[in-house]
Amino acid sequence: MLSANETFGSRPSVQRQVCPRSQCSFLQFLTIVIALTFFTATGLLAQQAKPNEYQVKATYLYNFGRFVKWPDAAGPAKGDSFPVCVIGQDPFGAILDSTLGGEALDGKPVVLRRISKPHDAGECRILFISSTEEKRLKEILTALDESGVLTVSDMPGFTRRGGMIQFLLEGDRVRFEINLASAESAKLVLSSELLKVAASVKRSGRSGD
Amino acid sequence: MATQQEHSISRRLTWMNMLVSGVALLLACTAFIAFDMITFRQAMVRNLSAQAQIVGSNSVSALLFNDPQSAENTLLALKPAHNILYAQVYLPDGQPFASYSRDPGRHAPVLPPIPPGQTETHWIEDNQIALVRSILLDGKPIGAVYIRSDLQELYGRFLRYAAIAAVVLSACMLAALLISSVFRKAVADPIVDLSKLARIVSQDKNYSVRATPIRSFAELAILIDAFNEMLAQIQQSERALRIARDEMEQRVLERTAELEAAKKEVEEFSHSVVLAKEQVERGSKFKDQFLSTMSHELRTPLNAVLGFSDLLADERYGPLNDRQQRYVAHIHTGGKHLLRLISDILDLSKIEAGRMELTREDVTVTSSFAEVISALYPLAEKKSQALLQHVAPNLHLYADALRFKQILMNLAGNAIKFTPEGGRIELAARQVDDQVRVEVRDNGAGIPLDQQQRIFEAFVRLAQTGTASEGTGLGLAITARLVELHGGKLGIESQSGEGSCFYFSLPLAAIIPVEAPQPSVSVSRARKAPRILIIEDNAATGQLIQSQLTSSGYETLRCDKPERAMEIAAEQQPDAITLDLIMQPVHGLEVLLELKNDPRTSKIPVIVVTVVDQPGVGTALGADEYLIKPVDKATLLGAVERCLLSRGGAAPARAILVVEDDVSTLEVIVELLEAYGYAVSTATDGEQARASVAQFLPELVILDLVLPKLSGFELLAEWRSNPRTADLSVFVLTNKDLTKEEEKYIHAHAESLFRKQHAWREPLIKQLERVATALSWEKT
Repeated sequence: MLSANETFGSRPSVQRQVCPRSQCSFLQFLTIVIALTFFTATGLLAQQAKPNEYQVKATYLYNFGRFVKWPDAAGPAKGDSFPVCVIGQDPFGAILDSTLGGEALDGKPVVLRRISKPHDAGECRILFISSTEEKRLKEILTALDESGVLTVSDMPGFTRRGGMIQFLLEGDRVRFEINLASAESAKLVLSSELLKVAASVKRSGRSGD
Repeated sequence: MATQQEHSISRRLTWMNMLVSGVALLLACTAFIAFDMITFRQAMVRNLSAQAQIVGSNSVSALLFNDPQSAENTLLALKPAHNILYAQVYLPDGQPFASYSRDPGRHAPVLPPIPPGQTETHWIEDNQIALVRSILLDGKPIGAVYIRSDLQELYGRFLRYAAIAAVVLSACMLAALLISSVFRKAVADPIVDLSKLARIVSQDKNYSVRATPIRSFAELAILIDAFNEMLAQIQQSERALRIARDEMEQRVLERTAELEAAKKEVEEFSHSVVLAKEQVERGSKFKDQFLSTMSHELRTPLNAVLGFSDLLADERYGPLNDRQQRYVAHIHTGGKHLLRLISDILDLSKIEAGRMELTREDVTVTSSFAEVISALYPLAEKKSQALLQHVAPNLHLYADALRFKQILMNLAGNAIKFTPEGGRIELAARQVDDQVRVEVRDNGAGIPLDQQQRIFEAFVRLAQTGTASEGTGLGLAITARLVELHGGKLGIESQSGEGSCFYFSLPLAAIIPVEAPQPSVSVSRARKAPRILIIEDNAATGQLIQSQLTSSGYETLRCDKPERAMEIAAEQQPDAITLDLIMQPVHGLEVLLELKNDPRTSKIPVIVVTVVDQPGVGTALGADEYLIKPVDKATLLGAVERCLLSRGGAAPARAILVVEDDVSTLEVIVELLEAYGYAVSTATDGEQARASVAQFLPELVILDLVLPKLSGFELLAEWRSNPRTADLSVFVLTNKDLTKEEEKYIHAHAESLFRKQHAWREPLIKQLERVATALSWEKT
């Protein structure tokens, strides 16, 4: 299978010209199958033909880690692992575990922690604040002030209230908006790439407060 | 042509120059452009690859956060690159994620596969470069970029290069042209000059010209020097040649002049030869003419002399006394001698002129001898000489029969003449080898040795003979010449007092198949003999009568059966009939009666030949003659002749026409004929004769050949071709010397030929009697 791929995969045009008619369809089919298998086996999102909302959000949560630069002096950067924390009632369930399990970010293995106290959040790189913590939000954010923790939540008005990244739903599609001022105040550098794909970016600080 | 040749070398140099530089440049340009194209294409690919990479890395977040809009924004960055036809970002599962197209309406292709282990691949199709690149994140593919670019830039670049190359090429060609013109001056011009010079030398033979020496090219310089050197040598040798040639020319001119002079001499000489030849020919012609005139002009009066002297001697016009008779005899003898002399002279001159033609044939020697001896016998008898012959049997000669006889006659005649009375003359012939030796020997006085050689010359006669013999002195000369003409030689053996022997040898006749004689020639025109029917039942008697009649020249018919006699007579219409009386089963008288009563046979005279002595009965029954057996020949012939005469008498008498231009000869002939009782009419030229015959058909014509206005030959031919005169009897009487052909012609077309130079009267009368008796007896 590999050799066929090597021989014909690189130049479909040549393949079309060279191969006999009866073999062509088979080889084409073969090639496509191989390509699909290749992507499926290695891709992160490949098998999610119809991923549910939290599966996408889990992946995003992980991916945010790629586009954020943590300050070296910050607490979270000091550890030997890359802790991703969930505070409040966990909406992901096992999905988050399977998504983050065995992954690494910033050269460190990703560690999932479910916490309940805001003080515990100081050690996290990424903190997902469950919508159940809406009432304690102010408390949590204040506790994290300038500690260099990326805050993510899907509760409405999160970014307005000083959160950094808030999940949105545009129909089936999961999107997010960013409060850049909050991130900057926490000395986090968000990649322009991330800003590019954000549904909106708030740069005026805590305008809502 | 010349200019073409002149320019050919320089033109070729130019061409070569341009060709070489052109090809070199073309190759260089091609290589350069090809290299550049390859390089440029690689650059394009690299460029595309970079663009794909940029697009890829800028699309990572879009892919990760499922934001096609962002990816499309990234792709839009490709817009300023006009060569990008379209670009597309794919999800890892091959689904299109975001796309960009330069021209609207493009559809995203299915993601082409990337070979494993590679992140990028590219290919060229439809004049476009396609490139696929994986988008990797942490070494894992999260999507792919596909970019497709057209090659317009490449082609544009190629066209620009081609244009530049063309310009450069043209410029180089121009430069090459300029450079080659410089080269031409240096290399080609001297060569062209040299070739021009060579042409001048070869065409004008001008060896004084020299090529201009050059120093620029060593080989060319050597060539030119060598050429000049060669010219100098040629000039030198040519000068030497010219001098030699001038000398030669001078000599040729001299020699030509000499030859011209010699030629002129030869021409003059040949002209004089031609003149002389013409003179000789004229002389010879004149001589021939003279001879033939003489033969005619001399003989004609002689014939008159002889004829009249004959008539006088016959005493027809009164008796002559002895003296007169003697004188007439002298005249006759003299005339005959003269005639003979003339004939001999003509013969001799004919032989000497080489105009004697021999008609050779197979001659039986025995018969020739017999004829000669019978002719000469009377002469020999007169002198009481013995004339003997010894001829081997079956000897045949190849010779002219007439001339052979003439030879024998002359020799034997001489022998008789010169041998005293009571002598002996022997003629002998025998075969010696393949020849026949003929000898004529006598026992006369013999011929002295000193005269033996002269004897064959003309007009030489032996002195001692003394007698006034009739010889002309030409006989032996003619004889000797005739023998020579036959290829032999007449010799003589003689001793004084012992007689002499003349001998010669002639070739034996080869076995020559005798040509069948042509009927037209051989059939004599002699008149048909009277035909007699013999009616006789006794064979012996019939045969006797038949032999008696046949021997006298009659034609006979025999009838053994009297009962058929009437039938035969009516059918055959004989001129006369002899009839026996005592016959079985029918009696002769019955036959006679029948014959006389039948109108077909009543006019035929009948001679009764019988033992019955009753002439009265016979004549009463109409028999014309009645003869009683045994009948002797004379009686029978007399009776037959009488009968024939009486029968012929029934026809009206017709005259004999004598055609003769010489009046005296004509008178002689007329006298002669009238003396024998013939009716005669005359004509003195051909036209008269023709008119006379046309008017009234004569019984017979005596025709001279040499006639004014119309010759005898022409008359004869005319008469024979006309049916009315075809059977007319013609006797030719002439003194013309006839050629063989003429003689043949006359024999074929006339009844008889008589020659005036020979004795002709008696034979003529005899012949006349046979042919024309009917007339004469009627008249008398």
